[in-house]
Amino acid sequence: MNMSAMNWTYAVDDAALPEGHMVAAYPLGVNVVLARVGGMVYAVSGKCLHMACPLFMGDLNGFTITCPCHDWRFDVRTGRFLDAPELGLATYPTKSDTGRLFVSLS
Amino acid sequence: MNIESRKKALRHFFAKVVQPMGFKFTPDADLVEFLLEQEVMLEVKHGVPYCPCQPLRHERARDMQIVCPCIPFHRQHFDAIKRCWCGLFVHKDVVDPDTLPQLSAKEVGLE
Amino acid sequence: MKKVIVYALSTCPWCRKTKKFFTDHEIPFNYVDYDLADQTTQEGIMRELDAAGASGFPFVRIGEQVIVGYQPDGFSAALGL
Repeated sequence: MNMSAMNWTYAVDDAALPEGHMVAAYPLGVNVVLARVGGMVYAVSGKCLHMACPLFMGDLNGFTITCPCHDWRFDVRTGRFLDAPELGLATYPTKSDTGRLFVSLS
Repeated sequence: MNIESRKKALRHFFAKVVQPMGFKFTPDADLVEFLLEQEVMLEVKHGVPYCPCQPLRHERARDMQIVCPCIPFHRQHFDAIKRCWCGLFVHKDVVDPDTLPQLSAKEVGLE
Repeated sequence: MKKVIVYALSTCPWCRKTKKFFTDHEIPFNYVDYDLADQTTQEGIMRELDAAGASGFPFVRIGEQVIVGYQPDGFSAALGL
């Protein structure tokens, strides 16, 4: 992946996302949830693929996000839905630059 | 809640979820209408569109496994009978759902 | 005549078809709609379902035999129709 050729969009400040937490962001209006696990920042679609519930209001346990509505579980690294391998959330590359977190939506 | 518009919303959400798993809405349109209406009424009552044909046990972990579409949580069983328990969804190749018996997981050798 | 008991849900179309099957064949039966029953009744029904390895409705007991799901051929066979 050529990181320099990507279009980076500001999402949130680095300080707004402590280790082991999630935060919602809306870069260019796109609903995204960012999570920091093991020092890495991951970004996936912020809407559960089941019924579009807001994932940032759910739980983050290790790499697993659990939706607050009906407990559908996703791997934040891959977006994959844990109970059916065919289903998953969109994932977005992230980068940190001078205290700010960016995502690439393209 | 407007029942008809909520039925449309559920149809929209569920179609996207079941399609990649190899399922579609049953071609029995009357059954789809009936079941979606029951789900909307269950959503009004409980806040969740549970399966109209499976029991609530009042234990969250188990009840979440019968929220429609519950296919991911009963995959082996439903793949074996080519339909979900209530028959709202069938395998994509099914054209005559009336030929599919409603067999329990035990009857297809899964429990 | 074997005793027929149907456990059902008021929201389940296959449960309605099951009740209709026995009505149409003039077979007397008792039924309980699980979702409309009180907690003690629900717990008793769930114990019966769990013991039979059943996870959904309709749940039909014809004499000693248990049939899970809308299975008209199975109902007929169990009743000797």
